[in-house]
Amino acid sequence: MKPRHEISNHLRRHRLMADGMTQQELADRVGVTRQTILSIEKGKYNPSVGLALRLALTFGVAVDELFEIEKGL
Amino acid sequence: MSQPLDRLQWRPSLTTLIASGLVILGLLLAPVNWGFLVLVALGTLGPGILREFGWLRDKDEFQQRAARRAGFHAYLVTGFIAFLLVAYLRSGERDIKDPEELATFFLALLCFTWFFSTLLSYWGPQKTARRTLVVFGSAWFLVTVLDNFDDPVAMFMQVLVMAAPFFGLAFLARKWPRVAGVLLIAASVFYLFYLGMLRSSAMGLATRGLVLVLFLGPLVASAVALLLGPHADGQEEQEVARTK
Repeated sequence: MKPRHEISNHLRRHRLMADGMTQQELADRVGVTRQTILSIEKGKYNPSVGLALRLALTFGVAVDELFEIEKGL
Repeated sequence: MSQPLDRLQWRPSLTTLIASGLVILGLLLAPVNWGFLVLVALGTLGPGILREFGWLRDKDEFQQRAARRAGFHAYLVTGFIAFLLVAYLRSGERDIKDPEELATFFLALLCFTWFFSTLLSYWGPQKTARRTLVVFGSAWFLVTVLDNFDDPVAMFMQVLVMAAPFFGLAFLARKWPRVAGVLLIAASVFYLFYLGMLRSSAMGLATRGLVLVLFLGPLVASAVALLLGPHADGQEEQEVARTK
C-alpha cells in the first residue's frame, strides 16, 4: 500500500502572531472567503499553489513554513 | 451583513440573492402558469452555467471545489437511482403513470443531494445535521400550530410529538452525535411507516419517491452524516466566536 501523505499547516499560528489577525482580515487580504481560511486551518482543505503562495507572502514567510507534509502509514 | 447571518456564517453574494429571488419568484408564479418554472431553473442552474463558461467569477477555489464535489455527488446519486428505476421498470410489465411526478422526483433528488453536499462541505457533518434538524423541527412546529390553532391542548400535544423530538435530537447531536444518529435512523423508520410509504397504493411510485426525498432525505442524510462524519464542530464554533 502506498504511504499516505497528510499536509499539515501552521496558518492559525502565523495569523495569531500577526497581531491577532482575524480570519476575515486574512481572507480579505488574499481574496478568498472566511470559510476558506477556516477550512484550511482545520485541515479540511488544501489550498492551490497560488493561494498558498499568497498566504505565505502575506505573512512574509516561505510556503514550507506554512505548510508541511507528514508521512503516515 | 446582519448579525443573524453572521451567526449562520452565511454572507450571500449578489449572485446568490438574485438566484434565490428567481427561485422564489418562480415557485410563487408556478401555480399560475407552470411555464414560470423556467425562473426556478435559471435561479438554480443559471449561475453554475455562467461559471462554467467563465462569465461569472464570484467563487473562490474552496467554493468552486465544494460546488463541483456536490455536483458529482448529485450525479452519482441521481444516476444510481435512475439505473435502479430503469432496471425495475424493464424487469416486468411495469410503467410509470405520472411522468411529471417522476421528473419532479428526479429534480428534487438532484437538488437535494447537491444542496446537502454543499452544506456538508461548508459546515461539516455535525453542524449540517444539527441545523437540518432545527429547520425540520421548526417546519413541523409551524404546521402543527397552524393546523391546531383552535385547540391549544391538541396543539401542545402535537408539538410535543412532532416538533420537539427534532429540537431534542439537534441538542443531542451537539453532545453525542452518534447517539443522535442512531435515534435519527429510528425516527426515519418511524416516519417511513407514519407517512405510509411502504403500504400506500394510492400514491404512485414517483410521488412516493418525491415524499421520501423531501421528508426522509434530510433525516437519513443527517443521520448518516452524524454516524460517519468526523466531529470537530466545537473547535470551529470557538474560532467563530473568537473572530467576532
